[in-house]
Amino acid sequence: MWSYLVRRLLLASVAIAGVLVIVFFLSHVIPGDPVGAILGPQAPQDLIDDLRQRYGLDRPLYEQFVRFVERLAHGDLGTSLATKRPVIRDLIEFFPATIELATASILLGVVVGVSVGVISAVTHGRWIDHAVRFFSLIGLSMPVFWLGLILLYIFYFKFGLLPGPGQLDVFLTRPPFVTGMVLVDSLIARDFDTFGNAIHHLWLPAIVLGSHALVGIARITRASMLEVLGLDYIKVARAKGLAERTVVFKHALRNALLPIITVIGIYYGGLLEGAVLTETVFSWPGLGRYATSAILSQDFAAIMGVTILIALIFSLANLVVDLAYGILNPKIRYE
Amino acid sequence: MSSRHALVIGLLVLTLVLPAAAAAPPSRVPANVLVFGGVISDSISLDPAEAFEFASVWVANQIYDTLVDFSRDFTRAVPKAAASWTASADLTTYTFRLRPGMRFHSGNPVTAGAVEFSIRRAHRLKLSPSFIVTDFIKAPEDVAATAPDTVRVRFSQAMPEVLMASVLANAVTGIVDPAVVQRNATPADPLANKWMADHDAGSGAYELIGWSRNLKIELKAFDNYWRGRPPMGRVFIQEILEPTAQLLALQRGDIDVALSLLPSQVAQLTPQSGFIVKKTPTFSIRYLAMNVGYEPFRSRQVRTAIKFAIDYEAIKGIFENAIEVGETIVPAGMFGHLPDRPYSKNLDRARALMREAGLERGFNAELIVSTEIPLPDVAAKIKEDLAQIGINVDVKVLRSADVTSTYRARTHQFVIARWGADYPDPDNLAKAFADFDSRVLAFRNQWDHPVKQVVQAAVKERDQARRAAMYRDIQKVVLDEGPYVIFAYPLRQIGMRANVRGVDPSPLNITYDFSNASK
Repeated sequence: MWSYLVRRLLLASVAIAGVLVIVFFLSHVIPGDPVGAILGPQAPQDLIDDLRQRYGLDRPLYEQFVRFVERLAHGDLGTSLATKRPVIRDLIEFFPATIELATASILLGVVVGVSVGVISAVTHGRWIDHAVRFFSLIGLSMPVFWLGLILLYIFYFKFGLLPGPGQLDVFLTRPPFVTGMVLVDSLIARDFDTFGNAIHHLWLPAIVLGSHALVGIARITRASMLEVLGLDYIKVARAKGLAERTVVFKHALRNALLPIITVIGIYYGGLLEGAVLTETVFSWPGLGRYATSAILSQDFAAIMGVTILIALIFSLANLVVDLAYGILNPKIRYE
Repeated sequence: MSSRHALVIGLLVLTLVLPAAAAAPPSRVPANVLVFGGVISDSISLDPAEAFEFASVWVANQIYDTLVDFSRDFTRAVPKAAASWTASADLTTYTFRLRPGMRFHSGNPVTAGAVEFSIRRAHRLKLSPSFIVTDFIKAPEDVAATAPDTVRVRFSQAMPEVLMASVLANAVTGIVDPAVVQRNATPADPLANKWMADHDAGSGAYELIGWSRNLKIELKAFDNYWRGRPPMGRVFIQEILEPTAQLLALQRGDIDVALSLLPSQVAQLTPQSGFIVKKTPTFSIRYLAMNVGYEPFRSRQVRTAIKFAIDYEAIKGIFENAIEVGETIVPAGMFGHLPDRPYSKNLDRARALMREAGLERGFNAELIVSTEIPLPDVAAKIKEDLAQIGINVDVKVLRSADVTSTYRARTHQFVIARWGADYPDPDNLAKAFADFDSRVLAFRNQWDHPVKQVVQAAVKERDQARRAAMYRDIQKVVLDEGPYVIFAYPLRQIGMRANVRGVDPSPLNITYDFSNASK
């Protein structure tokens, strides 16, 4: 187990290094002038030249890469051209909001998705199953941006059941920074009003962002459950006279979980990258908008910082999924 | 479907579809608080020496005082931190007497030394807006405190009053508290630029309470402001990116003012429903540029033919009427504006001009345009218009960063772009559009015309009437011969609850002032 873990971590480091090299050179190959893009069409040329020199963008590409690797070795991701702040500081500020939103979304997706998938499987061919499949298709086809605005309209504007855009009501003050996650920090500060308000603000974006994951998880749960429910040992369990609940949850679901866990891992990794559309509709201060604006303005340091973070997330998510296999299925051995 | 089902569905549809037309629900914002909804995520810094994006500049304006301000019609300077001033006969040196008794938010007095420190600091930091200072004040030492309440500013050229205000009413010359700056300086950052990004060292109408990036900026009324305490005790600028979400928040009563609504949404806000819309043309220009380095555009007849081929009113429709049609480089409302509009769609005239140029069979040209809505539609309309005189336009929609780089590299043929005045003086636009030596737009479009000498002379002209006439002449030359088709002065439209007073859109973000806002 431990040697497996070490080997996987080493492999992940090699993969991340590979991603870094590829992204660094690819992002510099794209034509365009990042300084000109940041300063806009009206900035005088001498200001552009000055900033280009200040950020080392006038140096040859290999030299920029060597400097980037040297800085990285010291834990420095460089300074963002767009925000003029250290990239690490930007990530610390924006990533926690994404973790909160992604975690809430995936929790929603898992709880509702697995339940719906199981119900659909055990009512296979009946109207509930058809309804679940119909709504799954709608859920998958619905554009996130549109869904976000519709939910805002109904739940915020029309009925006032949930708050509007933002992470907190404007009059509330964020709790002192510990983790950067408002929910966690407000609990640490024992500020339960802020905690409650943050939970309220989380509902709509989490539903919107989690909708695709929910549908995906429901569909894979249904398919996997249908496969398991047709196996001989389930028939034996039923023949033994076990309660249907025990058959479904203890014998079928547990054995159907492996593909579900894989899908959850992939979805969670994807959600942690940030979601620019959901973040835009709900003015959520997350990583998605930061990454998108970095790409659009060719903010190299920010692009590399986000890349490292996402590569780390995916490596970690894959590792956790693989380790979870062993816990769920004792037949799996790590070698 | 039973009639009961039909009734239920009908009621549901009605509840969902009949919303906005209803009267505004009561505001949920307290009476002494003003909440703006808008986009603040482009803000980099609130340090006046660095603030250059829309939101950061107008927020910095509330936190920092400048020596002077603009009159509402932008034709003269009016006192702000300076109670009075005198100018040398050649208009190169101004001496300002400060208003007595002014205090910074820290409680320290506002002195001539602080003014000297602030402008020298902007000069030395050399950040994005610094060219507004360095273009006119050559050395930091040209700003000097000559007495505790007197400061002398020596400019590198004659500065008519409006031009002087363009520098000294600009947020970049906002007065900072030297003691606060020095207290937060570090060896690596001796002018405390990093600390000043999200802290306050000003004397303006509002104090900065906090800035949660991408979330909100919070301001508090300054009790000892020289004009008296602002009526609104607190002001919040809340990040609401999506215009529809802004509209919903305004209609629901969670914000008082929506700063960036779409034109179609503005139409929904009527006084009957408890909302008003205030609008103003901005000091910016949307235009199509032709690179004279591309052979067909060397011909003046071809450039004029293109100006006659374009359907300006149709373009206004594409912008959903959120523009004013104008054809000259100095926007409406600015000193020296020439209101001439000689061009409208006239295909016979355009074809005749193409024939005169020997290009009756037309030519191919590439047009680059950014993805910003609705510019690709404008490009498509221009392609359709120019096809009618034989010009086959290949439209390339690019990221705005790529449009800018191509434009700067002078490798474009056609480009749709915009220019926003950095300061409200025609010099800024004349320099950009007509002075090749300034290496801005005339340079990028390789149009080197003798009118540049008039541009260079006009900025030094001391007689206002003669100066205005010179700018009108420049505009006429650019209109007749320049490689630009100017089609719009965009409007700025702000939606607000009907009880909000004293929040008026301004043609420039450096002149937003809500120290008198109330409700």
